[in-house]
Amino acid sequence: MVPSACWNCVLRPRAAATRALLPPSSSAPRVASAPFHSSAAQYAQPAKKKANTQTMMKHRQSMSIRRKKKKPVDRVRPPPVGERKALKKRIVLSNPNALEIEGMADLSAETMSNPSLRGTIMGLPVDKLDQLRAVEAFKPKQSWSLFRRPSTVFRRSTYEMGRLIDQITGDVEGAQQGKVVKKIVTGPKGSGKTVHLLQAMTMAFIKKWVVITVPDARELVSGDTAYSPIEGTNPTQYVQPNATSTLLSRVVKANQDVLAGLRISQQHPALKGLKPGSTLADLAKLGLQDAAVAWPVFQALWTELNATKAAPGVKDEFQPRPPMLVTLDGLAHWMGESVYRAADYTTIHSHDLVFVNHFLSLLTQGQTLGNGGLVLYATSTSNSPSNYSLEVGLDQLAARQEGVKPSSPEYPQPESYSDADPRVMDLFQASMSKDGLLELQTLSGLTRDETRSYVTYFARSGLLREVVNDQLVGEKWSLSGGGVIGELEKVLRRPQLSRPQVATATA
Amino acid sequence: MAGHRSNCIAQAMQLLRLPSSTSRVTVSRAPSHLRPPRTQTRTYATSEEAVSPAAPEIDFSTSSSRSPARIVPASPAYFSGSPRFIDHVLKLEKLQTKYSGLPTMEASEAPRMAWFKLAQFRDFVGEPVPTKKYKSLVKILQRLNRIQPAAVPAEVRSTLESFLRPGNPYAQQLAPPTVDESGRARGRGKRKESSAVVHLVEGEGEILVNGRSLVDVFKRVHDRESALWALRCTQRLDKYNAWINVRGGGVTGQAEAITLATARALLVHEPALKPVLRKAGVISVDARRVERKKPGHVKARKMPTWVKR
Amino acid sequence: MVFILGVNFPERNLLKKSLENFFGIGNNTSSRLLARFHIHPTCRVSELANKQVLDLTAALSDMRIENDLRREVLNDIKRLKETGTYRGRRHALGLPVRGQRTRTQIKTPVKLNRMERKL
Repeated sequence: MVPSACWNCVLRPRAAATRALLPPSSSAPRVASAPFHSSAAQYAQPAKKKANTQTMMKHRQSMSIRRKKKKPVDRVRPPPVGERKALKKRIVLSNPNALEIEGMADLSAETMSNPSLRGTIMGLPVDKLDQLRAVEAFKPKQSWSLFRRPSTVFRRSTYEMGRLIDQITGDVEGAQQGKVVKKIVTGPKGSGKTVHLLQAMTMAFIKKWVVITVPDARELVSGDTAYSPIEGTNPTQYVQPNATSTLLSRVVKANQDVLAGLRISQQHPALKGLKPGSTLADLAKLGLQDAAVAWPVFQALWTELNATKAAPGVKDEFQPRPPMLVTLDGLAHWMGESVYRAADYTTIHSHDLVFVNHFLSLLTQGQTLGNGGLVLYATSTSNSPSNYSLEVGLDQLAARQEGVKPSSPEYPQPESYSDADPRVMDLFQASMSKDGLLELQTLSGLTRDETRSYVTYFARSGLLREVVNDQLVGEKWSLSGGGVIGELEKVLRRPQLSRPQVATATA
Repeated sequence: MAGHRSNCIAQAMQLLRLPSSTSRVTVSRAPSHLRPPRTQTRTYATSEEAVSPAAPEIDFSTSSSRSPARIVPASPAYFSGSPRFIDHVLKLEKLQTKYSGLPTMEASEAPRMAWFKLAQFRDFVGEPVPTKKYKSLVKILQRLNRIQPAAVPAEVRSTLESFLRPGNPYAQQLAPPTVDESGRARGRGKRKESSAVVHLVEGEGEILVNGRSLVDVFKRVHDRESALWALRCTQRLDKYNAWINVRGGGVTGQAEAITLATARALLVHEPALKPVLRKAGVISVDARRVERKKPGHVKARKMPTWVKR
Repeated sequence: MVFILGVNFPERNLLKKSLENFFGIGNNTSSRLLARFHIHPTCRVSELANKQVLDLTAALSDMRIENDLRREVLNDIKRLKETGTYRGRRHALGLPVRGQRTRTQIKTPVKLNRMERKL
């Protein structure tokens, strides 16, 4: 091993030792004392380390470790405006992989009130699908994409509605032409409220009615469309021009044939662009072109559709107007404050929006449809704000239907000190002023027969590989909480477990 | 152990001196041909002999067969820690080998016997018997108990009876649950923190849980299936109506508590379904519960991370 | 691009968030502004009518925002310093003004409170 110190240094150990222990004197620089050797530098005190960063840190400095930030990853450009929403709302009505079901009846003028078809599955007429799409009758997540073509269960409630529509149209004996029926449709989640509306629309299209729908009540009060106050109203009313324009476009698209065949029969001094003798479709299109006049146009269209005879100054011969179907989905949204704000930053009540008010006033006793028709307002359970006043109102309605007098103590009242909305309570009060006008229709589960045909439908579409027998039907019926159709669909869609074999021995 | 053993020896010496001890330890004379040579003779009183060397010398020529060479205990287990217990074991083992040829029956069919509990047995033998050893003794008892009743020898019967604890706790039997006057069968079940009470009536398959529909209570189809599994696997779904009250715990626990309760209620209606239900796994109680958290632990078993310094 | 008070806003942006870009306008003020001119809360800049843009600009120009507000705040701080108040001293020292603890977590005053305060 080579000694680290040179011989000279070894011979003078004491000097080396002292040198190593003591700091080099500043007066005698090392280089000068040992110019030839490197040992001086070696024994010198090592270069002072940088002082500990913590102790030397300046007062009031952050002590946290600075980590390098991750470089931002190149993000893909976000999809264009509206594309994601379109994808979310996309509705697929047909599945080419599903089996065609032979001998399935279509919903038509003949079948829609045929009692012998009760409990069967009926296809929706193919030529009405475009119209149904136009009024947004289909909702995503209703599993239309499972089957070859859209079809619904012809339930007891469907059959009754078909008969009612027949009667209002005046096609059958015992007709009540021009009658107006108003219903609020409720029921547990998945019980088929929206599909009930869809069936009503299909039947109305078949009978050549005018269909006016509000597919999502929430859009009107969630602050997503423009609004503006109407001058000179007290309390201030608000109009929603864009929403009205969309409504008009739905009406025009869905009822093009009917509206194009009807000419205007009333005076509309407010609408300058309207030529005399134009059709109702032309009238509605005025509102499509300019959202600012959409609301007056809608009002004009409404009076036209409800007219029973021509106004004095109009030369054209009056064509009788068809009955009307008015539907709404998600009633609870319209029973409270909206997200909109007035100029003084107070929230606007939903009933102060004229659009909402117009449709809600249909429920009240004074308002009717001139040529008869059906008003179907459904509550929603998949998207509904909890609304105490509506609950009480519906309870009152149910009590009224059971014959409980409003003066009796059993009649449901909002609890004292509860924040029940007086305007909503007034609305229900007004709609119930005469017995039997506004009805409450509660949908519940399918019966066993209906369940059986629904299960068979799944099996025949190739979605269920089991023998459909009483036992299977009963099992699915129980699992779906008594035939609630939405749940039934969920149960049937699940990958099937192998059947329990143990039971066969004793059964 | 050493201390224990020496204590035993002391005890033995005491017994030798006491006149009453003769009843337990019979002092027998060793046969002459087995008599060890003198130099190797060791009696119990070795220590005493050591301290009293002046004892008179025994004259073997004169009284060869009269005086005992040494005292031999009756039981070979005499020098073990628990001689009486081992005597019992040996006796039982002897019986077992003796009657091993007799016909037996299934353990589940054998008459239920209330053997001594461990503490009682310890009092009975007056010795500290370890748990494990007592268990092995009970095993032999059970084996003897399985002999066909017609073929049980009187010896075995009396022996077994000596191990029974006083009184017969199995004499009173619980009345089997029955369907009440309105046709309802009641079943209770527990799982995790939930407990369910099911009233089962013959009906159409209507099911209400806490007064609400099954779909409302159990959003997951899997939970609904597991709640109704007892009815489903016996294909009784559309033959009974169920009124269910369930509380405590979470969704899974509630669903599985209902399974157990339904199965028990169903057994009241149809006891013959027991093997099917057993096979479907709905009448075995899942007694697992969440293990408690311990002090010093983060969870039940998890320890805080150990850091040096 | 829409001009509001001399600033260009991309059309795709939410109007409410765009207004919040002005110094002195936060969540509350911007929603109140929208309510005042009956503009719905999810309005995009592109959906504004010309009149609404003019209205907004007029309203904004009446408000004390941006440089006016900055100047006012700086003047207030300056006044505190000049009158020799405790708060003024804290401002000058780069320490928290409102009695917070100074042992930890005073990054913001260290960063902001200087002799020559900037906003």
